[in-house]
Amino acid sequence: MSKMIRKASTFEIVNHWILAVSCIFLVVSGFAFLFHLEQLNTVFGSFITLKNLHNWVGVVFVVSLLATVSHYLPVALNLSSEDLVWLSKGGGYIVKNVKLPEQDIINSGQKLYYLAILGAGVLISISGFIIWIAPGSRTLVLISHLLHNLSFIVFVMAIPIHAYLASIANPGTFRIMVQGTVPLEWARKRHGKWVKRLGY
Amino acid sequence: MKRKALLISPELCIGCRACQVACKSWNQLDGTRTNNRGTFENPPDLTPALYNKIRFVEVPSEKDDMRWLFVSQRCMHCDDAGCMKICPSPGALYRTKEGAVVFDKDKCIGCKLCVAACPFDVPRYDKNDKISKCTLCADRIAENLEPLCAKTCPTGAIKFGDRDELIAEAQKAGYQKVYGQNDLGGLGALYAFKEPPKFYGMDDKPQIPDSVIFWHKVLKPLAVIGLGGAVAASLLHYAVVGPKKDKEENNDE
Repeated sequence: MSKMIRKASTFEIVNHWILAVSCIFLVVSGFAFLFHLEQLNTVFGSFITLKNLHNWVGVVFVVSLLATVSHYLPVALNLSSEDLVWLSKGGGYIVKNVKLPEQDIINSGQKLYYLAILGAGVLISISGFIIWIAPGSRTLVLISHLLHNLSFIVFVMAIPIHAYLASIANPGTFRIMVQGTVPLEWARKRHGKWVKRLGY
Repeated sequence: MKRKALLISPELCIGCRACQVACKSWNQLDGTRTNNRGTFENPPDLTPALYNKIRFVEVPSEKDDMRWLFVSQRCMHCDDAGCMKICPSPGALYRTKEGAVVFDKDKCIGCKLCVAACPFDVPRYDKNDKISKCTLCADRIAENLEPLCAKTCPTGAIKFGDRDELIAEAQKAGYQKVYGQNDLGGLGALYAFKEPPKFYGMDDKPQIPDSVIFWHKVLKPLAVIGLGGAVAASLLHYAVVGPKKDKEENNDE
């Protein structure tokens, strides 16, 4: 058996699943509010319960999202022209076996994904909180309502792609969010810069 | 069922506010303690316990010192209602077959988005955080009774009837343009205004906020298309290009 190295800590894994479950619940209840999906009443009882859950799960989501910042934000912001090269080659997802620049612990696509989720997440949380407390200002509520729905679209588009790329599209990836470890050789190919920094 | 409406004629209103009292009586709404602000208009604005208010407007007059205009301010029962459009809770706001926009407090989730989307600033929230507003006395209409404001009005300034007939009646009486005839798909509260609407404290062209229209027409479909598109693109990629495997793994096969 090949040598395994740790890519994600237990905290990261647990937090990822808190974020994922709360996010999916928020998206499902969000669709229920958008399109009056009364079928959800068979699970949650009433839209009043659903609204309260939506608000409080939103709080869980925000806390979980902010807990990722120290871990992912510095590396996600560490963008260079190499990231453009990686992105212009579609990360090797469109034409296979292209030569790609060496990647850090997360690749250029993951950097952009993280920035999109963090940006949209902060926006959707602030606007959601404003709608929740319902201030007297009509304009403020309408702007928040618009931003809440705009950032919602970022989430509904980004999540399926993230789930796909991190599971069946990349055999060997999903275990990072379960066991947290990956084979050294696997990591060398995908995260060469990071593996070199570790000294392997 | 023919759409019902109210025809409100400020020229006939004497400002007695019997309709305000009758409305409170039928809907069992509490009185409110207010202060004298130097005007007969009272209370100053709609409240959760005041569905219908007579607005007192003072306008300059050539003959006298000034002229008084009295306007009933209430839910307009829009055909294209901003409150119903934005409401996230099914059944909290619904339309009766006569065209009234009615609420169900048990289903209201208290989000107050209807307040932001209403072009007429009508919905109010009670102490339990539930919507409250004029219902066009939908419960009375269902029993073939007219709304109590119309029944109480001693001068015919508030009339209830078939919407088309009321419009024809107002036009016959010389009102070329009936306020609310075409606005927002046609209002359920029509106004026979002699002066421009703004004299009565009304918008010339009442509209649902642009952001709400944009959300309804663009963002809502986009959420479905976005989700469906992302899932479809992923599946398509899997089928056409396939997963990213290491060369060694391919050799092993």
